Amino acid sequence: RPGGRTRSPGRWAEAGRTAARCTAPGSIPSTSHSLACDPAEAWRESHSFSARLRVFSALKALWLWRESRAPLCTPGAFGEKVPESWAYAKFSGAPLKVNVIDNTWRGSRGDVPILTTEDNIVSQPAKILNFLRKQKYNADYELSARQGADTLAYIALLEEKLLPAVLHTFWVENDNYFTVTKPWFASRIPFPLSLILPGRMSKGALNRILLTRGEPPLYHLQEVEAQIYRDAKECLNLLSHRLGTSQFFFGDMPSTLDAYVFGFLAPLYKVRFPKVQLQEHLKQLSNLCRFCDDILNSYFRHSLGGISPAGQETVDANLQKLTQLVNKESNLIEKMDDNLRQSPQLPPRKLPTLKLTPAEEESNSLQRLSP
Amino acid sequence: MSLVAEAFVSQIAAAEPWPENATLYQQLKGEQILLSDNAASLAVQAFLQMCNLPIKVVCRANAEYMSPSGKVPFIHVGNQVVSELGPIVQFVKAKGHSLSDGLDEVQKAEMKAYMELVNNMLLTAELYLQWCDEATVGEITHARYGSPYPWPLNHILAYQKQWEVRRKMKAIGWGKKTLDQVLEDVDQCCQALSQRLGTQPYFFNKQPTELDALVFGHLYTILTTQLTSDELSEKVKNYSNLLAFCRRIEQHYFEDRGKVLKKHSRWYF
Repeated sequence: RPGGRTRSPGRWAEAGRTAARCTAPGSIPSTSHSLACDPAEAWRESHSFSARLRVFSALKALWLWRESRAPLCTPGAFGEKVPESWAYAKFSGAPLKVNVIDNTWRGSRGDVPILTTEDNIVSQPAKILNFLRKQKYNADYELSARQGADTLAYIALLEEKLLPAVLHTFWVENDNYFTVTKPWFASRIPFPLSLILPGRMSKGALNRILLTRGEPPLYHLQEVEAQIYRDAKECLNLLSHRLGTSQFFFGDMPSTLDAYVFGFLAPLYKVRFPKVQLQEHLKQLSNLCRFCDDILNSYFRHSLGGISPAGQETVDANLQKLTQLVNKESNLIEKMDDNLRQSPQLPPRKLPTLKLTPAEEESNSLQRLSP
Repeated sequence: MSLVAEAFVSQIAAAEPWPENATLYQQLKGEQILLSDNAASLAVQAFLQMCNLPIKVVCRANAEYMSPSGKVPFIHVGNQVVSELGPIVQFVKAKGHSLSDGLDEVQKAEMKAYMELVNNMLLTAELYLQWCDEATVGEITHARYGSPYPWPLNHILAYQKQWEVRRKMKAIGWGKKTLDQVLEDVDQCCQALSQRLGTQPYFFNKQPTELDALVFGHLYTILTTQLTSDELSEKVKNYSNLLAFCRRIEQHYFEDRGKVLKKHSRWYF
């Protein structure tokens, strides 16, 4: 069998329900906040044969930093691209479970985000994206070779020009760090680490900025700061020019580049800071704001923070129903498995965008669960 | 530099035309210069050739210390000193010469993005190979870097530089990479460049831009420098359109104008 993966009916239940592989292996998992991504959407995916196979053929869990008070994760001090991986996985339809980690001993070595499957562990965002792509969750299938090259180039641009300023805004700028970032992180991690880790990440961010941008003739920290913010604003302008009026960077379907850009922009756009220099600039670029809002509304509706316990239970109930229905289909799928696996790599189905209003959310998803 | 200072410098730059005695400083070609510095220097030379601006190349052992930003190459024009390709491009633009005027906003964004890609991947890979790969460091880099200086200064300077570069690599996350991963990154970068170039003569069709100069500088240096192993140049050689691109620029902008790039310019095909 390709990939050597075994599929047994029991696995279907697992795939539908497994969320709880959070925290470090060997430590006590706390699963109270595990959320599935978008059960309704996953169900709709499953109705196309090829998608069904891919969706349910492997067990995937994603470890992420998760903060219930803020809608999205921050970019880590070591350049961890947490929202990108998440966004990319959403775009390509990979089933992933977002897990809140309460215990951060493993993550404190900077290994977040981490993608675990039954076979292997992949850390670092670029590798995660590659891994997802190899597993045929490919959001870039419809891109031409040149657009793929453009993607790499723009990612390099983001890392070089925008990342230092974003790191600075979150981790180095004193007002922001002490009022927003530090309490935020410290509240989610256990006691001894909450004193050490934010400080360490802050120092790491400053270190990185100074080592990569703080060379002569810029001797003063203020000069470095001025330069990196200038570069970041220029980079945002360039992105805005490139995006123009289209919905995503390469036409109508989101791709890796959209995931990366979203990963950078969304925290910057949404988190409420005292010192908002870069945020102000971003808000002036209306097409980038529209881009972020579109993605947030379409793909992250179910996963936005601030879900109350009652809402949580409804989601869990939906998930249970989904699991049962999926189990019934599992046998049929297994039979079709081999045939379809032999077929050449299929283009991804178009992901219909979800536009749910808050009131109808629950009823809609319930309706969709009936076959 | 603050915005005001930059505007001031531009003003001064714009005031005078390009003089005949402009000089470019780099390290000693034969004995001292390293892969990454050579690539940077060649990129600037190519850019100035493309702009039709005369420049004289002068080799000095302490070029790195003379430079205002600590990086080579730097140019000495009139009574101003500017280092590194980015600021040099802006400086030349202030004097009224530019290669990228004909591009629209989206193309300019693309050009900047690709330049960052080359800097991010190719340049960092070169630095990694020079300073973090034990074999190369021992055999080539240490010997070359400290060659103009007497003992023990040559060792001290080499170790100091190595420590600096390794610290930087660790900060950006390249410290833990293996050589194979670095080579894979180089391959990815070359693939992206090759796909972008396609069958066109230059990256933005008919006219070369600073991106072409930068890519040429790096690729030509990689192709014509002998290291402990050929793996790096092998990665580039896989892409025939990139090879043709380098050859074209070398012929058009250097050989045809009577400039010899390397004394024994051998293409390690």
